[in-house]
Amino acid sequence: MLFLQLLASGIQTGILYALTAAGFALIFGATKIFHVAHGATFVIAGYAFYECIQLGMWWPWATLVSFVMAILAGILMAVFIYRPIQRSEGSFFTVFVAAFGVSIAVQSLIQYFFGRGSVTVSSSLTMASEVIEGLYLAPILAVAIGVSIVLFGLVVLFLEKKNAGLGLRALSENPGLLEAFGLNAKNLTVLAFVIGSALVVPAAILTSISIGIQPSSGSKVMLISLAATIVGGIGSLKGAALAGLFLGIIENLVITVVDTQWSEAVSFFILFAFIMFRPSGLFGASVKR
Amino acid sequence: MINYILNLLTLATIYSIAAASLNVLVGYAGIFSIAHAIFFGLGAYAGAQFALLIVPDVLLASLIGAVVSGALSLLLALPALRVRGEYFVAAGLGLQMVGITIFSEAHSLTGGHGGLVGIPAATLFGFDVSSPGAFLIVCLVALLLSLAVIQILMRSSFGRALMSIRDNESAAESFGKNVPLLKTLAMVVGCAIVGVAGTLFAFNLAFINVESFTLEQSILMLAMVVIGGVGTLSGPLIGAVFLLILPAILTFIPFIPPTEIGTVQQFIYGSLMAVLMIFKPSGIAGKTGGK
Repeated sequence: MLFLQLLASGIQTGILYALTAAGFALIFGATKIFHVAHGATFVIAGYAFYECIQLGMWWPWATLVSFVMAILAGILMAVFIYRPIQRSEGSFFTVFVAAFGVSIAVQSLIQYFFGRGSVTVSSSLTMASEVIEGLYLAPILAVAIGVSIVLFGLVVLFLEKKNAGLGLRALSENPGLLEAFGLNAKNLTVLAFVIGSALVVPAAILTSISIGIQPSSGSKVMLISLAATIVGGIGSLKGAALAGLFLGIIENLVITVVDTQWSEAVSFFILFAFIMFRPSGLFGASVKR
Repeated sequence: MINYILNLLTLATIYSIAAASLNVLVGYAGIFSIAHAIFFGLGAYAGAQFALLIVPDVLLASLIGAVVSGALSLLLALPALRVRGEYFVAAGLGLQMVGITIFSEAHSLTGGHGGLVGIPAATLFGFDVSSPGAFLIVCLVALLLSLAVIQILMRSSFGRALMSIRDNESAAESFGKNVPLLKTLAMVVGCAIVGVAGTLFAFNLAFINVESFTLEQSILMLAMVVIGGVGTLSGPLIGAVFLLILPAILTFIPFIPPTEIGTVQQFIYGSLMAVLMIFKPSGIAGKTGGK
């Protein structure tokens, strides 16, 4: 039963990773920006939700505020940090350092106002009940599964059917040609940040309800998203989501074999192994060395 | 008070060595290592164990720290040869996270979370150099030697070849440069020097644990290099002094509660990194107008 229990919590963790990783992968795939401040967006969304609930807001409004804040954070990053750097032809390195700086600054700001400790939004959704003997499940798992399926469905539909979605895919292939056809690469970049940032919101809210969120959660989310994007194969949304799910499940199941302290390291060990032996990831096109 | 200042200067010197060594990788070789604190830690643990078990001689311990750290740098050299850009950053992150777990779990070598305590007072050729003033001089000499090594190497054909790889790897390769060998050598040199810094760090505190070698520390070192100026000799020093003196100055500002100093400092260096990258990507000591 321990196995099933761990599998269940693995799926729940994995879904959160899948959502954040998909956002990261979408932004990276479309704009080639290594959005390390993705974790900062996650923390902003989580704390916005927490603060609204503290203020006595009804949860759908709190969710809305959380979405607005996350999307705003994404847009501000795209317009005020990445755009000026790219205009001056900043290298990958420059973008990375700037984004890292922003995430450090956001983390310390939140630490200053809310403290280092983790905050939790209490909800009846986390009340676990015994489903079969020895297996305890909380309704939040079902909510997480449902929300993520709906969201992935919407994003995939958008990318395949809508013109803007087509534009995003074109942006990843050839930004120059895109401009030549009269599409605006700048607006599409912002759009990628809007969708990518919105995808972390449900993950942030579910985290704040289930295990609680803390200022340093952001860097963990960023690291896992990054790992999942590479393990899944850069440029593949499906790959990133599946890899996120996979890393979440492994992280939990591995407890049956090794000590708990090692569970986080296992994800990064997998990442390291993938970079060494299969840098193209599970679903990616082959990469040039 | 005088001891406090001496201690601060010693720490700034040690971090200057670390930042200068990271600059060999980031600034000259274009290897964007985000696991430098791991090699700092390897040097610290190796040097500390040597002092605990054999003899607390700074010079010998530093050499051991450099050898261990330099040898294990091959772990990061491997992915550096295979991938670049974001893939290499991710590999570095992987190494950093796995490394920190090993540090905190390998109790017999590192003392786990409790760390290594009671590292004996430093000696040099049998003389006690553990007083704050004497140890500062030892660290300054180490810094000067490291800078001299870096400067000589980077002025040599080795350094020029490295910079050509940084600027255009394919072009360097087509001119017959042995890219894998050069990159590996740069890696070994940078990590060996940070190993020395780690050993000095261990002697200075007489206590080390895993807290000093986390991802945050790697970022701090990276921030020192970037804020100071990538690829310059003086840049990392300016960055290190700046980022270490900053919290010391903040303690004298009355309206910041002492418990929040770390947070405020983080905010300042985070924002500085972002703002500098937008307006002056070459850093404080960098050439203006550079890309």
